[in-house]
Order: sequence, then C-alpha cells, then structure tokens
Amino acid sequence: MPPAERTQRATIVDGARVTDVDALAVPDADTLRLAPDDLTRATGWSLKAEGLCRDDVCYPVRDRATIVTDGGISLRGVAEVLGRPLACESDPPVAVLGEAPGAVGAALASGRAPNFALPDLDGATIELDDYAGRKRMLFAWSSW
Amino acid sequence: MALDEDVDAVRHWARDEPPVPLTYPVLVDRDHLVAELYGIVNVPTTVWIDEEGRIVRPPSIAPADNTFRDFTQIDASIHNDALRAWVRDGVLPLDHTQVRSRLDAPSADVQQARAERRLGMHLVRSGHRDAAERHLAAALELAPRDFTIHRGSMPVLEKDPFGQDFFDFYEEWEAAGRPDYES
Repeated sequence: MPPAERTQRATIVDGARVTDVDALAVPDADTLRLAPDDLTRATGWSLKAEGLCRDDVCYPVRDRATIVTDGGISLRGVAEVLGRPLACESDPPVAVLGEAPGAVGAALASGRAPNFALPDLDGATIELDDYAGRKRMLFAWSSW
Repeated sequence: MALDEDVDAVRHWARDEPPVPLTYPVLVDRDHLVAELYGIVNVPTTVWIDEEGRIVRPPSIAPADNTFRDFTQIDASIHNDALRAWVRDGVLPLDHTQVRSRLDAPSADVQQARAERRLGMHLVRSGHRDAAERHLAAALELAPRDFTIHRGSMPVLEKDPFGQDFFDFYEEWEAAGRPDYES
C-alpha cells in the first residue's frame, strides 16, 4: 500500500496537451488533486473569485468545498463544473480530461470542419488547414 | 488517417501493400482525436470538406471496393460515383439539412468511453497492463456499438480483430440493427 496523502508525479491529458505535474491521488473519490498553478499549466483553467476561468470565460462554482481541499484542486470537481468527462487512474496517477458532449456537438452543428494536427508516417505534423482552399476528403481507416 | 496504435502496421498498408505509392498524406491517429472531433465510430469512413472548410458530407461508410460486400452490405460504387461527381462537377449528394441531421452530438457515455479508452491506451504504452485493461473494459461497456473502440482495442487486448471475438461483436451489432452505419 502506498502511504496516504503523498504527492506523486502524475500525467494529465487534456486534448493534445499532455503535462506532468505533482498530484495527490485520491482513489476513493476517483480523482487527482493538483496545486492551483499545476491545474492551470495542465488545463489552462484557473480557480478565481468569479469561478473556474480560462481567458475571458468563467464557469460559476456553486460549492467550492467540492473542488478545493487542503490537498489542492480536485480534477473531478473541475470536470464536473465544466461538464467534461474525466477518466482517472490512481496507480499510476494519470487523468484524461475528455471533451464535453455539448462542445463536440456544437462544433459539428456549426457545419465547420474542425482543424486538427496529426503526425504522418515520417513524424511530420500535418494539419487539415494546410490544405485550406481545396476540396478535402478525410478517410478514416485501420489495420484492424 | 489510420486509427491505429501500431505505426508499423499503418506503414505496411500505406507503403508496402499498395501496388503504386499513395499520393495523399497518411496520418496516424493513435488517440482517435479526429474520430472524436468528427463523430467517427467505424471504418472505412469518409468526411468531405469543401474549399470554404464546410463539412459537405458527414461521416459515411465508404468501402473502397466490394471485397467485403457481404459484411458491409454497401455497394462501393455509391461513394465512389458520388465522389467523382463532387470533385469533377461540384455536385453534392446531400443538401445542407441532410448534412446537419447527421452531425449529432455524442452521448455523455460515448464521451466518457473515449476518455477511458485514451487513458487505457496511455497506460498500455507506459506498461501498466492491469490498469490499462480496467479502463479499456470501462470504455467497451460505455460504448457497446463503437467499432473504433471495440475492434480497435482488440490488437492491444491480444484479441483477433478478424477472429471469433470480432464475429461475436459483429453479430450483436447486426442484431441491434447495424447502428450508425450509413453510406
């Protein structure tokens, strides 16, 4: 058994952003707790008087005690405020903050093709927008 | 883009197998980022994007030929003919309303499944097999009809994506009415 209340090196995945931080794993609450600066570094979000904020967007936080404890800011609480899924493992500590269903749906409903960047077989990064102004066909395939 | 964990497998099918080299960029989407952005749940799927960056044909099943016609039940010429008409003559098979009606928001369960899958694959890569299998199992349960999650996880779970495990999944999917399978 690992000692209780011990911060460990943890990995936070948020979209294309993957950040290593010190975090406290709390298996019983299925969450990781981070220092405020590390939350911002890993996700861009900061807890302010107005709520949970990034750039000029703030989400109200009704019950701060569910997010902030002595051990730091709970990623589970952050995910709930943002309406985003969180997949969390405590051993080793890794958390994936997924996309809110509504955000994915709103992007699709706009009819605009979302940009993305992926590596090609030589490791070069290719973006959809590299081919802006042309007809493009995405073709999803696999070896399986 | 290939929804594959194994880059060598992608390289084989993109570089070694084709009789002539592919002329388009071949991207590797190990984390299924594009699948999530566009709501892709199966392969082979295409999405068409016009010169102005609009989605003009939503994710659609598009077999390149009729090799697996018994499985797909979709004639390859439907997509291939429509693609030629769009590229050559600018003719689109669906109007704006039809395109929109097929660009749905994912369910909360599917988004949770995608996060669990991504966590599971992260743990596979770092050698934490037991933890990985727990999160992949959670993803399979949350998105029971998604091929990219189910069949796509079979190679890393040491199941055969062309064997009995696949056929069992396929039969359940077919019994459910082949959901999310539009040409």
